[in-house]
Amino acid sequence: MLLQLLANGIIMGSVYALVALGFALVYNTTKTFHIAYAAIYMFSSYMVLSFYKFLQMPLLISFLIAIFLTMGLSILIERTVYLPLVKKNSSLNVIMISSIGVMIVVINMIAMFYGNETQILNPNISKSVTFGNIILTHTQLAQLVISLMVIGIFITFLKYSKFGIKTRAMRDDNILCTVFGMNINRMRLSLFGLSAIFAAVGGGLVAYDVGMDPYIGMPMLLNGVVALIIGGVGRFEAPILGGFIIGIMQSLAVWVFSSRWQDAVTFSLLLIFLLFRPQGLLGEKQRAV
Amino acid sequence: MNYIFHILIMINIYVILTVSTNLLVGMTNLLSLGQAAFYGIGAYLAVFALMVLKLPLIPVIILVMIGTALFSLIIAYPSLRLKGDYFVLATLGFQLIVFTILYNLVSVTRGPYGIPGIPAPKLFGVMQISGLVPFLILSLILAIITIFVFYKLVHTPFGRALKGLRDDEIAISSLGRNVTVFKIWAFVISSAFIGIAGFIYAAYVSYIDPTSFNLDEAIFILAAVLIGGTGNIKGPVVGAIFVVVLPELLRFVGFPDSVAANLRQIVYGMSLIVLMLYRPQGIAGEYRLQ
Amino acid sequence: MNDIILQIESIKKSFVRNIINIRGEQEDERFYIIDDLDLLIPQGKITALIGGNGAGKTTLFNIISNFIKADSGDVLYKKNDSLMSIIGLPTFKITRMGIGRMFQDDHIFPNMSVLENMLLADNDKFGETPFISLLKPKQNRNIEKERIEKAQHIFANLFGKSNPLWDKKDDLAKSLSFGQQRLLGLTRLFMGNYKLVLLDEPTAGVNPQIIQQALGIIRRLVTENEVTVFLIEHNMKVVLELADFCSFMSHGKITAFGTPEDVIGNDEVRKTYLGI
Repeated sequence: MLLQLLANGIIMGSVYALVALGFALVYNTTKTFHIAYAAIYMFSSYMVLSFYKFLQMPLLISFLIAIFLTMGLSILIERTVYLPLVKKNSSLNVIMISSIGVMIVVINMIAMFYGNETQILNPNISKSVTFGNIILTHTQLAQLVISLMVIGIFITFLKYSKFGIKTRAMRDDNILCTVFGMNINRMRLSLFGLSAIFAAVGGGLVAYDVGMDPYIGMPMLLNGVVALIIGGVGRFEAPILGGFIIGIMQSLAVWVFSSRWQDAVTFSLLLIFLLFRPQGLLGEKQRAV
Repeated sequence: MNYIFHILIMINIYVILTVSTNLLVGMTNLLSLGQAAFYGIGAYLAVFALMVLKLPLIPVIILVMIGTALFSLIIAYPSLRLKGDYFVLATLGFQLIVFTILYNLVSVTRGPYGIPGIPAPKLFGVMQISGLVPFLILSLILAIITIFVFYKLVHTPFGRALKGLRDDEIAISSLGRNVTVFKIWAFVISSAFIGIAGFIYAAYVSYIDPTSFNLDEAIFILAAVLIGGTGNIKGPVVGAIFVVVLPELLRFVGFPDSVAANLRQIVYGMSLIVLMLYRPQGIAGEYRLQ
Repeated sequence: MNDIILQIESIKKSFVRNIINIRGEQEDERFYIIDDLDLLIPQGKITALIGGNGAGKTTLFNIISNFIKADSGDVLYKKNDSLMSIIGLPTFKITRMGIGRMFQDDHIFPNMSVLENMLLADNDKFGETPFISLLKPKQNRNIEKERIEKAQHIFANLFGKSNPLWDKKDDLAKSLSFGQQRLLGLTRLFMGNYKLVLLDEPTAGVNPQIIQQALGIIRRLVTENEVTVFLIEHNMKVVLELADFCSFMSHGKITAFGTPEDVIGNDEVRKTYLGI
């Protein structure tokens, strides 16, 4: 039983890690508290829905188009809302509030066009595979494998590519980067586009598993934010660790308490870390105080 | 006519919510996502006072204010050590935990089933406050008291110190103010009055459940303050009127209810975006968010 | 011999910085910006602190005011005829004990009026708790009147009965010129009834006329209010003109102390700092 829970937790955790990474990518480098990320996550699910179910296109093509469109949305938001605010020297709070506004708009537009009810991508029950005492559905396996793949590609990219070096430099000091000739605005575009890919992959994987409704974004974003805090702001490996921790803790919480209190566990973790270890497990000891 | 009374009562409730939140967000520059938690705590405390303790009106109000204030102290003291985004996240965390507890502690709060049949509060144990007109008068009196208290606070040395804190925290602490204590005051006072709004809501609607006090509501209250304007009294009042009246206008124009709900959210969202871009002090506020 | 109002003892402050060592690898290095610093500030006099950029002078001020925590050491302040340790006390407590501060970037309240800036600097903070502010309107009004009179009196005393700064008393502080903001930062120190003030480069970046006015204000702080002044300065003329004592900071320590003429004439100081 425990093993099964751990397995479920790790698999869910891999998706959380993906989403957390996408959020951290933007937050660590541009300090944007990208609450609209919740809407971007949800948007991708509905794009898959539109092409796969309504337009009857093959699943993989639908996924790819969805990723592409989600990137477009993310870049649109960055260009029309965030960048103008940055140019006006707006404070981080103002940018966060505008992000909340964007989230509200996108969620409600989707709700208006697609309805509030849950929609599912895959009406069939997924086949499963048995590993000893553990049963995993094919969908779960896909989640784990694809998430890990994307994360792995990104980490490699981060360490060895020029883009990765620039990203890490931006995390440290934006102004210094401009001094060294980096085009921050172009980097921002790439970062927002990349984070959208993470959201889209995560969104698609979860949507295929359990379906979607216009309001699935916020809970997932919260998991991502908590993962970021637990892991630590700063290093990009941190939200990955955080994601897995949350996935496992939630799974165990179901076992120890009941599924009702799952959320309470996540939010309690958030508060405990904020109050006692705001730099997270891996973060540098910066002062949140 | 009944309809107008209902709208006015809701406006009064939201005026209390926005004017109180403004003390935190506009005057002290502490962006908080936790208002709905205190709104809910106030409502559930009111239910406790009305249904369990069977207290008359004035003691209920006092109990709700003190109770909500104490809860806010528990939250304020640890959170205020945190800076910037971390503070906002802490308020978010508390908002979510309060909601989760209200929703899941079914033995105490009846969770999602809600609490129906909240009795009318009795003034001096004799006169029952029930029905539209009495609630209109009650909510109006409480709203006016709230506006009066917060207006006065702003125009005293206390308010001036808050403005100084908002302007330059380093300067105000180098001039001998304990910044944390001021922030705690702002937190506690605003929460106490938000609790009152919760009481009015609970007594008026006579049914509450946790979904009225979730994160969406917190964002809604915050949006009302930001859209109406921060930093003065006019702004939050305008914001309250805006968010209560807009849905009704949309309904008049003829949109079906389901679409209207989404449409008005879109209006709120767009308002936030446009205001942050071009007028961060809101429609009628005087403090541009820093 | 002079009484000592502030005794700085063995202060150490370091931070870790990430460097590339000779092998070309990244490593963390502990760098001591203040390295066992001792200094005695004589009461009722003007003591200057000079030293190169980045020598740690402002850091020392920030340690005294408790905006930064020292690694080790102590700061003793004369209160009621005995020295008490004030290191690590919260900033507001240090101010309330009579130590005022002026910052390099002024830190006035830009969105509040000149008058409000003065009123906020008053050492009498009556009326700043919510209950008192609401429940004692008459007392509040009286004390407000006293505050305003005090501010007006200070302005008249320093700048003459008709002076442009008082005329602008209802203007927002951010509308003042840079020099006027500097003068405001200094003038508000008179509201605070301080015994010791820390001034961080009071004459930096302003024109000679403002400098002269600033010097006048500082002198009057000492002569009229018996305030001890401890100031960071880069302008040697000002130091020679104004200061009774001078201390030179280098390598994280005080390496010279005496009259301004002595210190500025010191060989080491001339070589390492003045470059002459």
